Amino acid sequence: MLPIILLSVFGIALLFLGFAKSKAILLPATLLFIAIAFGASFVDWGKNYMYFNDMLLSTNLSIAFTAIVLLSAFMVVSLSSSFLEDESAQPAEYYAIMLFSLVGAIMMISFENLIMLFVGVEILSVAMYVLTGSDKRNLRSNEAALKYFLMGSFATGIMLFGLALLYGTSGSFVLSDLRSYVNGGVAYGSPLLLYMGLLLLLVGILFKVSAAPFHFWTPDVYEGAPTLFTAFMSTVVKTAGFAALLRLLSFSFTGIYSFWGVILMAVTVITLVVSNFTAVYQSSFKRMMAYSSISHAGYLLIALTAVGQQSKQALVFYSLAYSVATIAAFGVLLVVSRHQSGEGKPTDESYDAFNGLARQNPLLGFIMTVAMLSLAGIPLTAGFWGKFMVFTTAANRGIFWLLVVAVLMSAVSIYYYFRVIIAMYLRDGQTTAIRVAPFYRYVLIAATILTIVLGILPNLVRSLV
Amino acid sequence: MNAAYVPSDYLPVFIQLILALGFIVTTMIVTHMVGPKRNSQKKDDPFECGIPVVGDARTPISIKYFLIAILFVLFDVEVIFMYPWAVNFKQLGVTGFLEMILFMGLLLSGFYYVIRKGVLKWE
Repeated sequence: MLPIILLSVFGIALLFLGFAKSKAILLPATLLFIAIAFGASFVDWGKNYMYFNDMLLSTNLSIAFTAIVLLSAFMVVSLSSSFLEDESAQPAEYYAIMLFSLVGAIMMISFENLIMLFVGVEILSVAMYVLTGSDKRNLRSNEAALKYFLMGSFATGIMLFGLALLYGTSGSFVLSDLRSYVNGGVAYGSPLLLYMGLLLLLVGILFKVSAAPFHFWTPDVYEGAPTLFTAFMSTVVKTAGFAALLRLLSFSFTGIYSFWGVILMAVTVITLVVSNFTAVYQSSFKRMMAYSSISHAGYLLIALTAVGQQSKQALVFYSLAYSVATIAAFGVLLVVSRHQSGEGKPTDESYDAFNGLARQNPLLGFIMTVAMLSLAGIPLTAGFWGKFMVFTTAANRGIFWLLVVAVLMSAVSIYYYFRVIIAMYLRDGQTTAIRVAPFYRYVLIAATILTIVLGILPNLVRSLV
Repeated sequence: MNAAYVPSDYLPVFIQLILALGFIVTTMIVTHMVGPKRNSQKKDDPFECGIPVVGDARTPISIKYFLIAILFVLFDVEVIFMYPWAVNFKQLGVTGFLEMILFMGLLLSGFYYVIRKGVLKWE
């Protein structure tokens, strides 16, 4: 639990570093801070410890998710050099808020008490509302922030209702108490309140991970937010949300699987179908990525629906593969859209921005291609093994019809992921060579290499968890 | 865990809720039906201390007012936490004292940040 304390202190330190004359120190300082927290998260490896009066539990699984979240944050921050050129940007505050939001994410990953889950969700969400609206002069950014805030507050309220009902039936917020209550005492208590509580709690978290039918905020918010924070949102928030769901469902509520299994199955199917078919009709790349992130929430939900020992591995691997590929894709979009839009013009985030990109920029083209292949789940990329493991969990559980839907939908997804590749390699465009800062390039290359290495040697991560 | 509570124990709460809602609805309906109505141009205007109404209420207001207001609420609420701590000061002992110092340290570093940021400067 060292990372929680460290990141809180570092966040405050960053706020004061912002008063320094040169802003150049902020980026390396933030990267150093996240790297330290990353290292510190492994202190508890191999031990099961309760922290802070039994509020948080550290296990290998929670450390793995923490590491993924911190790695994603590290990569997103390292792509953020454009802040330092922008006059109206407040880099110190952005970085500090990002570090604080990581504290919330880690709380969501390793909670043992439902209060910690709520506090974690709130820390993460409030930070995201602010970051979404951080482009203050942009109307779309403001609109996105307001929408996200209003809908997010409603979701939080619903979640709180759920927590209250769970407490009302079981008399405890502690996960292990809930587990023994669900496994033993359901017949004597009032299962209706328990079911309602769990349902409302699920709705709250499913909203945060943007699963359909609670996904309506996602495209607008992802499109309106600055691209960098979209990348942050679609990786960190999603990973943390699924870690929280896994902890809840695989530990406390296995006893009433017959109740929530059906609900999750329905949500999974709706998510997969709606997101993949809507993504096909998008003309904006960024909006397509928003729907793509919804569809990946659907694949992750399959592993939860078929909850078992293997779903833990599957979720960890899938989150890692998804995060790395998504950040690489957004990283390329960031440089390309900035290059395509001249002074004063709005940034071009449509597919057309990628036309003919690969001629003059073979490296960017290759990075984007690998990211798209990984998201589509083509073999020799990490995304393939992620999907493979997720589908295996469903097959082992015997939910074959869900598997069929998922495979069909991932065939649909190939269409919209390949549109980018076709635009880059086969369309004509006037894209000149784009100059990419060395560090920025290294991070994108590292993401690509990681995607390919995990695609060839998936056991590197699988054997750890 | 207390299994003695069953849903019917919450019945008084529901009765209270229905009574409260019923009172409001009934009084609103009765006042509309019983009370006399004399409408005029002046009477339908929004009341503002007797001054004639001028312009739109949604005029731009300097952000400073909001900042001061929100900072006031923030520090006001934080100070409330000191009351239960002060009441239980002896029982909480040294640990409680250190925790309060940590809390106040974080709060004051935030205050210092606000001042350095120039939020309280009122040209």
